[in-house]
Amino acid sequence: MKAKKQRLILALLGLGAVVGAGLLAASGLKTEASFFFAPGDVAGIDLPLGKAVRLGGMVADKSIRHDADGVTIHFVVEDGKAKVPVVFKGIAPDLFKENSGVVAEGEFRADGSFVASNLLAKHDERYMPPELDGKMHKTGSLKS
Amino acid sequence: MHAYANPARFLKIARPLTPVCVGVGLLLVLLGSYVGLFLTPPDYLQGDTVRIMYIHVPAAWLGMGGWTGIAIASIVQLVWRHPLAGVAGRAIAAPGALFTAICLLTGSIWGRPTWGTWWEWDGRMTSMLVLLFLYFGYMALANASDERTTVSRATAIFGIVGAINIPIINRSVVWWNSLHQGPSITLRGSSISSEILWPLLPTVIGFSLLFGGVVLMRMRANLAEAKVEARMRRMAAS
Amino acid sequence: MNHWAFIIAAYGLTALGTAGVLLWSYLDMRRAEKAVADLETRK
Repeated sequence: MKAKKQRLILALLGLGAVVGAGLLAASGLKTEASFFFAPGDVAGIDLPLGKAVRLGGMVADKSIRHDADGVTIHFVVEDGKAKVPVVFKGIAPDLFKENSGVVAEGEFRADGSFVASNLLAKHDERYMPPELDGKMHKTGSLKS
Repeated sequence: MHAYANPARFLKIARPLTPVCVGVGLLLVLLGSYVGLFLTPPDYLQGDTVRIMYIHVPAAWLGMGGWTGIAIASIVQLVWRHPLAGVAGRAIAAPGALFTAICLLTGSIWGRPTWGTWWEWDGRMTSMLVLLFLYFGYMALANASDERTTVSRATAIFGIVGAINIPIINRSVVWWNSLHQGPSITLRGSSISSEILWPLLPTVIGFSLLFGGVVLMRMRANLAEAKVEARMRRMAAS
Repeated sequence: MNHWAFIIAAYGLTALGTAGVLLWSYLDMRRAEKAVADLETRK
């Protein structure tokens, strides 16, 4: 009976140590493991210029503007803390819409704007039938 | 604890339970899939692709639930030396890996029309891929030893250590900015409209029952093989 | 882009995988339990 108890304590201690180490490592990786920068993350710090990065956030309301050439799109990405103007040349995914999430791949320019080479649509965790849209759908943030 | 240690007693329960799990599981999966494919409304933003959820979510749950099962079996094996724990861990690995792979594949198929990409090295996707490789490692370790009805101590320890990935998968979309959306179903409720959500219940329960049925069948096969081997050895010795 | 192609691919893949593992486990179990039954009748 005693040996069994010893093994149980040992197993639980081991499990606790592993979980602790994992959580510590995961929280330490906070910025490295993030898929994208939000506008608020880069506000007030030195912009990572000349490096391929991703910028994610909400496409600001009424900010999408198409150039006359038909392929250049201007829009603003915001996260409630800051806004970044983005220019993108190419075909946007179907779900790229105003007041919806977006992840842009590209790089920052010195003036604080962002040049995207690729767009990914990011939708939120809410799913609803079309007739409810507008009544319930008012997205304010990236996460719930 | 040891009430079911006797394989004969386990088989007495497992034999009638297997067809029930498989039968009811198939029924629920077919029902949920039919409703999810043809009767529920599409999503306002994603359209019909939201229907992939009804199989993607159960697959994700079973991939993660499977490893949780392996971790529990490993602890039971190491602490209580329960003779069936190793058999259970061994039986869970293959279906667990399969559903993890299904989760990754259906996620990829879902990501293309909605996000505009098949694959990104996002926290959620990467940690799920790590889970698949953990399953492969567990299976390789389990098959490396001659033991048939249990797994080696090293394999059981691997099962426990690998469990750290489970909370990481679960929290990945909360801790890190990710392309994958945050959790829809939390303790505070669901952000999926009930008309879209409800077929998920039969498919999650149905796939879980099928998973249970597969585990039971694989445990029975394993125990039967061990019995034959033991009998052969005794016959050869006498 | 037709969304149904993606939906059918996802469901088809899942059906194939699930049916496959069910069938494989069942046949494996039947073969093993039959071997036990054979041994028992032989002795």
